[in-house]
Order: sequence, then structure tokens, then C-alpha cells
Amino acid sequence: MKKLSERKKLLIYKVLLFVFAFAVAFLPATASRNLEVNSRVVVEMLGVDGSDGGVEVTAQYVMPTETDGATTKDKVTVEGKTLTEAVELLNTALGRRAELGQCSVVVVGSELDPSVLGTLMTATDVTADVYLTAATEKAKDLVGDMTDFMKKSGATDADFIAYSAKKAHIATVTLLNFLSDLDSASGTAFVPVVEMLESDDGGGQEGEESKSGGGGSGSAGGGGGSSGSSEQSGMKVEKLALYGKTGRTAVLEAESARGVAWVSAPIEKGIVTADVEYGGDTVEAVSARLIKKCAEITTDAKNGKATVRLKATLEPNGDKFNLLDTKGESASKAIKSAFADKIRGEIEKAFSDARAVKSDPLFIGRTFYRYAPAYFDSEYSLDKVKVDFAVTVELK
Amino acid sequence: MEKAYDKTRSAGKNADGKTGGASRRIGENSDKQSTSKQLIAVVFILSLATKMFLLPIYLIQSTGRDAYIVLAVMCAFDLVALAAWIVSMRLSPDTDFFTLLSKLIGKVGAKIFVAFVALFYFFKLNVVTTETLTFYSDNVFADFDAAIMIFVLLIFLAAVANHTLRALGRLNELLVPLIVVCILILGTIVVMTGVDVFNVLPAMREPDSFNSALFRHAAWSGDFTPLALFVGRTQMKKHTGKIAMTAGAVGTCVAVFFALVLCAAFGNVPSLIDSSTNITSILQYSIGNVYGRIDLFSSILWSVGAFMETAFFFYCTARCIAFVIGRNNAFWIALGTCVALYCTQIFAMTDPTIFSTVVTSAAAAVTVPIFTAAIPLLALVASIVERHRSGGKRGGHADIKPKKPSYGDDGASGADACENAADGGGAKR
Repeated sequence: MKKLSERKKLLIYKVLLFVFAFAVAFLPATASRNLEVNSRVVVEMLGVDGSDGGVEVTAQYVMPTETDGATTKDKVTVEGKTLTEAVELLNTALGRRAELGQCSVVVVGSELDPSVLGTLMTATDVTADVYLTAATEKAKDLVGDMTDFMKKSGATDADFIAYSAKKAHIATVTLLNFLSDLDSASGTAFVPVVEMLESDDGGGQEGEESKSGGGGSGSAGGGGGSSGSSEQSGMKVEKLALYGKTGRTAVLEAESARGVAWVSAPIEKGIVTADVEYGGDTVEAVSARLIKKCAEITTDAKNGKATVRLKATLEPNGDKFNLLDTKGESASKAIKSAFADKIRGEIEKAFSDARAVKSDPLFIGRTFYRYAPAYFDSEYSLDKVKVDFAVTVELK
Repeated sequence: MEKAYDKTRSAGKNADGKTGGASRRIGENSDKQSTSKQLIAVVFILSLATKMFLLPIYLIQSTGRDAYIVLAVMCAFDLVALAAWIVSMRLSPDTDFFTLLSKLIGKVGAKIFVAFVALFYFFKLNVVTTETLTFYSDNVFADFDAAIMIFVLLIFLAAVANHTLRALGRLNELLVPLIVVCILILGTIVVMTGVDVFNVLPAMREPDSFNSALFRHAAWSGDFTPLALFVGRTQMKKHTGKIAMTAGAVGTCVAVFFALVLCAAFGNVPSLIDSSTNITSILQYSIGNVYGRIDLFSSILWSVGAFMETAFFFYCTARCIAFVIGRNNAFWIALGTCVALYCTQIFAMTDPTIFSTVVTSAAAAVTVPIFTAAIPLLALVASIVERHRSGGKRGGHADIKPKKPSYGDDGASGADACENAADGGGAKR
């Protein structure tokens, strides 16, 4: 029998090594999954509130049941003097180890001291890439409502905000990015506010709010539910909570929140709606889909001026656009101009609304600190800085 | 095993272009030499393995967003040492490090110097071992006791010390493609998910903390010192030196790039970084958890590079001890070194406070860079002197009579032991 050459042997060893590496990486997880799940409670969502006694933590968890493959979803609230104590109490309350490493969303209450979130990242198993959402008031109430909604609708995945991160016009933020933004030179961080859509008649009406914002942010509703009582029919993510080092400073309304998302969030999808003036007429609500965008902030320390530049590529759609499209190049220019004005308006409003509460969610200050640190140290002031906005729209 | 050696001999002949090349003529063990490919792979691994574990974390904790610059300076220092090693290998393709030293400063002087070098290697071995154990205990096997986990590593290290340099080089050669693939995956993730790398600006805002971090972490330099064993034992082809330098530079760039990513992620919040938040969770620094945890998977596979660096330092320690004691009992030397390593690890270094205190102490910060510079410098000087003595002929063995390769164990003479020490022990022969 012919013996293998050294080169062939090496090749075989390399292949075996890769096979072994993959086996080592995947086998333990598949072999012991049932055992692990049965001995633990998987926390999917965590609500954190500030309270008089310390910190209140509400956990939405999944617990395996006796039925093979089935789980139950429920919530529990505990209160501790510190966050770490509250997390320990979670284990006691659930009678099993609460697995926080699988937590995909942390809901932040309005009264929470943001420094608690630093402890959440360093002292617990909650990972740095968990998404943050803000409750209008108490995180405990929002987690409770969302749990009820998920149980009712049969939704199994609590990671709803991950969808918004890529597919909707919402300025999402992860735990690490929030803490990093908060400690940046701008001293501002933002968190999207999640609200529940309620229907009195159980018909799943989304309410008027979802029409606002010039193109719709993230709202999702569902039908069903009994008539005659107020029930959650979906979730709405339109507003943006602004944070300073001491806590929440303001909540931006939908239009301003969209403005922040244009500049400070890695959005990839979204809808823009604008009124187009052409030939003396106004064509209302022409809509376009965002294909891609690129935002940049440049600074001019000599003149104390910053310029926010945004280039957006849009794909218009709908009958109103089709009608305008037949009218030639001049109509196309009018459409571009209308969309650019709309977007510029949203960004300008975001900046002015935030400046009014001494917040900087567009991170103008951070840009000065990065590229003109001497100017930032000596002269920079959010109140005095001049900011220009330049928006370019390309139509696909 | 014996057949593998036979094949190696054949390869050696072919590489020389004739039966019995230069090294065979002088009676040294050409069949145990490392190939140029293996040298390049080793340089690549050494250039980045431990530079991506705890070091960037300590640096960020010390100096915030400037940590990657500190790392770059340390890497530059190591690259200069690498250049010295490569030049030394070029000038002395047939005479190993221990023989060169013996000729330059005499046998006794060489043994005294190598004893200190052995201590240096043992210190570096402890640093690398602690890093590896910390990585696994914090990230992979959180519930696994380090005192037990270390046995797996010790068995691996003992096995390595009982084999030849060529065997170690071959293992390294096998792992490098895996590591390169994992690094490419990690790099792609970073680029695609958009870490805000400009968060490392502005640079050098606090020069004092920068200087302090550079001094206090100087003990992490010296990653290329295991190349001592490759001097005179490597088949140096025409472009081997250049390619090895390039491999070192590429590895360094990779390490600095990932450190830069960490700095960008934690530059504003250096207090939030700890040993569990290292390069394993690189995806967490960018967009969020929408892509799953492919980064963790890749990082764990990549981390085998650190095992290899640990193995090289262990191997060097064992070979230096063999040279100093003049006996080539690979098994007993490996066992003794394992016991010593176990004691230092379990009773001292796995305690993060002790580890941090020892490694960032002024003594370590002064001593390690001195050895990092002195060992390759001495090898370089010895190579030049040897070449000069031999009238400019490479290899410089004009005054050495051919002798039979020594395969002896206990009865080996000093010179034999020295050759065997460089060669990789004799237990497997």
C-alpha cells in the first residue's frame, strides 16, 4: 500500500483540526441544552427602576414546563438596595438561577440613575450589546404590559428592538454605546421610548400617534382581544428619551427623534414622506424608502461652526410619485428638494429641541473634542456653537 | 516517529541541493532544523498571541483611549528585536544559540547567562499562562476551577517539551491557517458592523498616564525571545528573513488594530472594561446582538495561538535548563518545570492582584525589556564575531571539527547537551 506523503498528511491533519474545532464549539451546547435549560430560568427582558429603597428590577423570564419543548413566559419584580442585591434576589424569587446572559432588552424607568447601568454591565451577566429601551414612567409597568401582550399574541421573541435597529427609522442604542455616549464630551445619550398601543374596543386600533413623524417610526399592532376593556394591541417606538449624567433630561417627540436617528444611529431602512410643490400645486404625502444614508459632522474651530452633512439615497414609490415622475427632470428636482427639506427640518428640530434642554444627541460637542480639543477645552459651548445642516438626496 | 525523521533528513538533503549539506558536514543535527515556513508561522503567532488578551485591557484601564499607542510602541520595540533575531539567523545558519554563546563568552559564562535567560523565560511563561487561564476561566469555562484546568495545559506543555523543535514548529504550522481564518472573521465583523474607531481621538491628551502605562507594562515585551532556539536550526532561504519580518509586522498590525477597536469602544468608559470584556466580545462594541455570537466562536478558536506561545516559552525554559545542568533529561526537566509552573500559578499568579502587582512592578518593567534587548543583541554579536572568525563564511564553523551527532541522554557531554538542548531534547529519539 502506497504511503501518504508528508504534504498529504499535513492536509489531512488540517482538515481534522477544523472538524475538531467545530465539534468542540458546537457539541457541548447541543448535548447539554435540555439539562441547562431545565436548571435555569432564562431572563429575556429586564426592567430597571430607581426607587426610594434603592433599585427595583423586573424580569420577564421564560421557564421550561413539563411538556416537552414548551415554555411559560411571566414576570417578577424584586427590590434591593443596590442593583447587584436586586439581581441576587431575582434568583431567590425564581427559585432557580436567573440566566441574564440571554437578556436581549433592558427597559429603563424614568427615575433611574444612569450610573446603575454601568453596574448592570460590569457586575452581572448582562452583555454589553443588550439593547436599551425607555419606559414613559415605570419600567416595571412596561415590562408587565409587554409580557401580557406577548403572552396574548404568542410572540416568543423579546428581542423586538433588534428589528428596529436595522429595519426601522429608530435610533436604537446598546448598553455599552449608551454608557460610552454618556461619558463622551457631549455628555448626552439617548434611548428609544417604547409605548404600548391600547385599544378600548379590542379592535386593535393603533391610535393617532402612529400617523405622526412624517413617515412612521416603529409601531406594531395586532388584532384580537376582548371587547369593552383597555388592552395592549401592540407597541409603538417613536419618541426618544435624552439622558444626561444625572438622569433623564427630556423626551423628544417623534419628529425630533427621527432627526436624531438620521445623524446618530446606524439606520438602514425607513420611510420618508414629504409634500412636493410642483407647477404651483402641492402633492401631499409623497413617500420614499430609505436605501442608504451617510452622515458626517465637520467642525470649523476658527469660526466656532459645525456642519452636519447627510446624504440619503431614497427610492420613491406609490402612485403620487409615479404621477410626478412622468413630468420630467424638473419634477424629479422638486421631489429631491422636498425630501431634503423634510429631512433637514427633522434634523434641525432635533438639534434645537435638544439644545433647549442642554442636550447634544447629534454629538456636535464630541466632534469638536475629537478634532479640535484645544477649542473644545477653551471656548466650546453648546449654546453658542453655530451649526449648519446640509442634506443631499439621491433618488434611485 | 523514526520514519518522520527519515523523511526530514531527505528533505534536508533536497533543500541543500546535495547529499549532506553544510550543516551535515559540520556534524550538527540538520534533520531537526525548522523549515522557513515554520519560522514564519512562529513569528506570526508570537507577534499577536498575548497582545490580544489581557494587555490591551490593562492598558485601557491605565491610559484610556491611548492604549493602542502604548501597544504600538511596545510592538515596535519587539519588532526591532525580531529584526536582530533574523539577522542573527542569517549570519549563523548552522550554529545554534547556545554554541554561539559558548564561543563568545566561554562555557561557564554561557551557562551563567543562560541561567538568567531561563528565569526570564520562566517569568514570561507565567505571564502567558496566567493570561491563557484567565481568558478561559473568565470567558469559556466560568465554572471550571483553574487549579484543575491548568492540568490540561501542563500535559500539553510537558508533551511539547519532550518533542523536537521541528515537531513544535509543525504543530504551529498546522494551527496558523485556523488562526488566520478566525482573525479574518473577526476583522470582517468589525468592519461590517461599524465600530466608531474615531472615538480614539483625540490622542495623547494625558502624556503622564501614557508614559506611566508604557513603563508599567513593559514586562509584556519580549514575545520574540523564543526565536533563540531557531538560530542555527532554521533553513533560511533567500527571502525567509524578509517574509518573517513581514509576518511579524502583519501580526503586530492585527494586534494594534484590535486594541484600537477596544480603545474606541471603551475609550470613554475605561472603568467598565475588565478581563471578561476583551476581544472575544468584539461584536458587542458595535451595533448590537443582531448577528448572534460568531465573534465568540472565532475568538475561542483563535485563542489557540496563545497556547502555542505558552508552549514556546515552556520549551525555551526547558531547553535552557538542559543547557545549564548539562544533562538532557527532557522528561524530568519538563516535569520539574511543570511542578514549578503549577506552584507559581496556583499559589500566586492566578490571583489577579498578585499577578497585576508582579507584572507591573518596577523590577519587571526594567528587567524584561533589558532581556528582550540583550538576548537577541548578544546572539547578533556572537553571530558577527563567529562569522568574522571564520573569515566571512556563513555558518562560521571553520574551526569546528565534524563530530557525530550526539543522541545521548544522561551521559551527554556539555557540548552535546548544549546541542541537544537547542535541538529539543532526546526523549523521543
